[in-house]
Amino acid sequence: MDWWRSLRTQETTHSRFIGMLSLTVLTLVITFFLPPVADSQLAGGAAIAIVVLGLSWLTGWSGQISLGNSGFMAVGAYAAGIWAHHHTSTPLVFTLILALVVGGISGLIIAIPSTRLRGPYLAGMTLAFSAAVTPLAQNFSSVTGGEGGLFFNSLVTPKWFLHLFSGPYAAINANAQWSADLAVVVAGVMFFFMANLFHSRTGRAMRLVRDNDVAAELMGVNLARARTSAFVVSAAFAGIGGALYSLLQASVRPETFPIGLSITLLTLMVLGGIGTLSGAVIGGIIYSFSTNLVAHVNSLTGVNPTSNVGANMQGMIFSVLLIVTMLFAPRGIVSLKTPLRRLFRARPLAPAAKEVH
Amino acid sequence: MTDTDTRRFTLEFEHVSVNFGGLLALSDVSFHVGENEIVGLIGPNGAGKTTAFNVACGFQKPTSGSVTFPQLGRSHLKPPQLAKAGIARTLQGVGLFSHMSVLENVMAGAQSRPGGGLWSSLVGQPSGTRHERALRDEAMGQLERLGVARFAGALPSGIPYGIAKKVSIARALMERPVLLMLDEPASGLDENELEDFIQLITELHDSMSVLLVEHNMDFVMQLVHQLVVLNFGQVIAQGSPSEISNNPDVLAAYLGIDE
Repeated sequence: MDWWRSLRTQETTHSRFIGMLSLTVLTLVITFFLPPVADSQLAGGAAIAIVVLGLSWLTGWSGQISLGNSGFMAVGAYAAGIWAHHHTSTPLVFTLILALVVGGISGLIIAIPSTRLRGPYLAGMTLAFSAAVTPLAQNFSSVTGGEGGLFFNSLVTPKWFLHLFSGPYAAINANAQWSADLAVVVAGVMFFFMANLFHSRTGRAMRLVRDNDVAAELMGVNLARARTSAFVVSAAFAGIGGALYSLLQASVRPETFPIGLSITLLTLMVLGGIGTLSGAVIGGIIYSFSTNLVAHVNSLTGVNPTSNVGANMQGMIFSVLLIVTMLFAPRGIVSLKTPLRRLFRARPLAPAAKEVH
Repeated sequence: MTDTDTRRFTLEFEHVSVNFGGLLALSDVSFHVGENEIVGLIGPNGAGKTTAFNVACGFQKPTSGSVTFPQLGRSHLKPPQLAKAGIARTLQGVGLFSHMSVLENVMAGAQSRPGGGLWSSLVGQPSGTRHERALRDEAMGQLERLGVARFAGALPSGIPYGIAKKVSIARALMERPVLLMLDEPASGLDENELEDFIQLITELHDSMSVLLVEHNMDFVMQLVHQLVVLNFGQVIAQGSPSEISNNPDVLAAYLGIDE
């Protein structure tokens, strides 16, 4: 059962690949059974999960905080949008890679001054960046399309996929599911990369810097370089996630990426569990179906969705979720799996932990 | 000193002074650590021992003078360059990475060795996995050598202080050092652990030089070949433990005054 053990511990690239592949395929199968609305929501959630994972890497692994990841999302989205707007025949994969690279470069530019800062100062600096993105996009309207944004239709459902569907709403169903499947596959690929990073030498370097920077330096880690590369990876993930998010909406507009989105990303990361793959998945799922939750709460309480209270219902629900989660699972929803596992398994936990006392 | 000058030194301090805005932390300090030699740096609190350590490690720039590593052919190294050059330093206390297991802490000692960069980590190159496995085995070997292998899976906060000290030594040894710098290695250890430690460092000096800062005089006297005594930032005496213990200046400045 050696292969099973290695699969569970995600020790080899091979086992991580198999793990991510099976999860991706499973999710793809699920999309066949979801209604089109849920498929669209899932697609958005997958895009957000990629961004949350990038943020989780930055915060959970390198110990830095960013309130600027909605800004990196915008950079990736505009890179993809501007390119796709002018080059309609470019394959989608290329557009996404472009967003990834441009997002990463924007991360590098922000990181060079930012990695000299810690804690609240770093948060402030990155917040300023994400605040600057919306006005920039509004003002350079010749490139960005200004307030109205850019429209592009890169997400074309292929013919063979359309043929899988029949009935009066075949095209709608097929389109919704195609976008969901595409987003899930992109997320699967990005999660695989991050899983590798978590278990690598680079991943360890980040944790050294986070835990004890003086000792990390004595181990030979270049602190500035480690912190910068953490930012670049985080921004690249935000870039591709933001591009995917815009592709799903077939447009990119300034108000898609408000500062509030950075806070939402942070909330989703904390809700799921900082620094973990499953935490980012949970964050993505919460985001996907938060609109249902909002609608449900609105109908329960009789609040008018267009009223002031109704418009801010998502924020309020996230706040309540955050408080409840912090009370009962301070390390995020993902930490609940340990007591669950304990419940279903009679044998003692890790043998090493037993020997300590 | 003339007979020792023909040997190769691992570390050499030449006329090092450090000035903290008018306060002279080190004044014209010269000493050396020979190959495979154990040298102790002692002196009362505030004598400049830690400053000397920090200068050697590049955490503190000397105002004047030079720090060279003749055996390594290097000088004035910056902290992130030390490990690669073959210099390992432990920190006061234990300085372990608190959210990583003991085994991972020891593996971290090999961080300066060439290995995959960001890209190879992202795509998960098989060579990286093999590298990590080999590291884990080597780290486990170090823990076994120091007799603390059964704590491999524990977190630093969950193990006794004496064990944590050994783990920090194991981590330093993963750097395959030519010069091992120990910052107060004996503090917080009980008598049995001290015995262990003396034996361990005595074994180690076959393959490396050791420079240590220490308060515990019994420990130092049993262990070192050479002593350098600092007081108010100046070297007031150097020599073998027996020479030092009979030096009237040292007795007046340090040994006579029980801390």
